[in-house]
Amino acid sequence: MLEITNLTKYYGDHLAVEDLSFSIEEGDFATLLGPSGCGKSTTLRTIAGLIEPTEGTITLRGEDVTNLPPDQRNIGMVFQSSALFPHMTVKENLAYGLKMHGLDDEVDTRVSEYLDLVEMSGYEDHKTTELSGGQQRRVSIARALAYEPDILLLDEPLTGLDRVLREQIRNEIKQIQREINVTTLFVTHDQQEALSLSNQIIVLNNGQKEQEGTPESLYEHPKNRFVAEFVGKSSRFTGQPDDTKPSVIQNGSLTFAVDPESIPDTSPNTDGADVTLYVRPEDVVIDTSSTFQNEFDATVSHIADVGSHSEIELELEDGTPVLVEAERFPDLSVGEQTTVGFDPEDVIVL
Amino acid sequence: MIFRNLPVPTSVRERVTPRHLVAFGLGWLALFFVLPILVLVWQSLGIGTGEPLSAYQQALSGLYLWTIVRSFYYGIATTIVTLALAYAFSYFVVFWTSMKNLFLILVVLPLWIAYIIRYLGIQLFFSPTGPFVDLFGTDFGFLFSTRGVILGMTIAYLPFAILPIYNSMNAIDRDHIHASRVLGAGSLRTVYSVVFPLSLSGIVAAGLIVFILSSGSFLAPAVLGSSENFMIANMIERSYTELFNIELAAALSVIYTIILLALIAVFNSYVNLGEVFENI
Ligand SMILES: Nc1ncnc2c1ncn2[C@@H]1O[C@H](COP(=O)(O)OP(=O)(O)OP(=O)(O)O)[C@@H](O)[C@H]1O
Ligand SMILES: [Mg+2]
Repeated sequence: MLEITNLTKYYGDHLAVEDLSFSIEEGDFATLLGPSGCGKSTTLRTIAGLIEPTEGTITLRGEDVTNLPPDQRNIGMVFQSSALFPHMTVKENLAYGLKMHGLDDEVDTRVSEYLDLVEMSGYEDHKTTELSGGQQRRVSIARALAYEPDILLLDEPLTGLDRVLREQIRNEIKQIQREINVTTLFVTHDQQEALSLSNQIIVLNNGQKEQEGTPESLYEHPKNRFVAEFVGKSSRFTGQPDDTKPSVIQNGSLTFAVDPESIPDTSPNTDGADVTLYVRPEDVVIDTSSTFQNEFDATVSHIADVGSHSEIELELEDGTPVLVEAERFPDLSVGEQTTVGFDPEDVIVL
Repeated sequence: MIFRNLPVPTSVRERVTPRHLVAFGLGWLALFFVLPILVLVWQSLGIGTGEPLSAYQQALSGLYLWTIVRSFYYGIATTIVTLALAYAFSYFVVFWTSMKNLFLILVVLPLWIAYIIRYLGIQLFFSPTGPFVDLFGTDFGFLFSTRGVILGMTIAYLPFAILPIYNSMNAIDRDHIHASRVLGAGSLRTVYSVVFPLSLSGIVAAGLIVFILSSGSFLAPAVLGSSENFMIANMIERSYTELFNIELAAALSVIYTIILLALIAVFNSYVNLGEVFENI
């Protein structure tokens, strides 16, 4: 559907995107995920034709569109600021794209159909400047979809909304995408957004692709430390592999048992190179009466209730923080001595 | 703003309230603006001269009437030409160059030089011994003619048009332009449907400023025109200093001002000027 090949973009001497390749299948919901300044917007705008790539090609529906102007690519785009035309009503905003696509006859039906889709029926004649932030995003999404583009691009469309609204509109986007099955490329720096929305995530850092895959594969099998730390929460330990026992990582007084097959070949066991261990919070158990191969004394340092569960932070004896996801309102208090444990199979070694 | 934090002696602060400041401003306006205009109107009426309002009869006939018409004709022509040039220039500076500040300095720089000197410069440029004639063999009728006066005023007032247009155009969110392109509009269509309407407030403000300045221009016709290009300001001056006809000069002033205000009022009924100036 969409294929990016060896995309490179320099702004003057500044390298914003480096040799980036990925592809998206028809009907997929893909997300470009990465920290601020990593080149997400640049990539998205290159796909839309708003920025000329320094190198590389962009193929849409099997057609090379690298040199086509934006108005000939049949793309729908939602901008960070929503970018609704302030001198037009809601209806006129939607009609603009429809008319440009030669759909003059269908303006009325499409406008009501797509405003209905984003639950903004009845706002046809409102000025866009009089809408709330959330309403503006909705209209902006309707405007981008009304002429049925081949692909929908969204550049951090939830920026500037409060948390509740963010979540609400995020779910609506997901629902709309399922309903009309439009191929979607979403840009965000929020890993939670990416994990909850997409079936394919492309992690970018410094203009380069770090990893690509389903949310599950990124979360459970990150290829490198950047992805492990950027996607999802985790506790982080460091240590030296033990020369004699391949399933043990040593760090001072702490000994970690890991799945020997998970130790990457790139950190040879013999030279004692540092490895980093990650354990996801839901894999850690507090107050272990049972036996875990990894079991440590710990002190509770912080308890936070986040609605659906609680996040508990503990400290090992050497001060290393451990993050645990537990049931709400646990029978614990800050300062309490307890133990934490986890299975070797749940340790990600990088 | 620089002076915002300067200390004001408490004794002053206690005695001078905002009320006093407003009163001072209104008093200033009354004394130096309203009062002189009232005197002018009174003079124009010619009461006590035996022939009241005769000055108005004269001002609205023959040569004088034509001069009034010509002033507004020149004003409108200058405004149209100036707006077109200012718009093209602003568009270039905002969207095509990375050296915005350099160009803005070049725009403002001529304002440091007196009008009379700039008009004389234009006159010398087109004079039979000047560089233009040297190059082309003719001045294309630019000297002492309608087009000379309009060209001169266009050059003189261009900065006043560029600044508001540049401001409103530069304030356009680039994503509005990008959105238009992605929605399927070509670049010309985007200029017409997005850039133009979003910079309209600057155009209206610029047009108003240039129209008022140019239809009341005195120096441009005096330096760059012949007596056939005289505008209202030249007629007022002549009536006053050469013919010593104060009533006529006052009547011309009053008529000019009333027409100007009427035109602005008519314009205002189409375009909400209050909104325009709020948006600048
Ligand atoms: N027009 C430009 N000229 C020069 N450098 C630019 C330009 N636009 C972006 N950059 C630089 O290119 C890099 C990538 O920018 P980009 O906007 O693609 O990042 P991003 O991932 O979208 O970040 P954010 O999450 O902050 O929006 C950044 O370092 C940025 O400073
Ligand atoms: Mg961005």
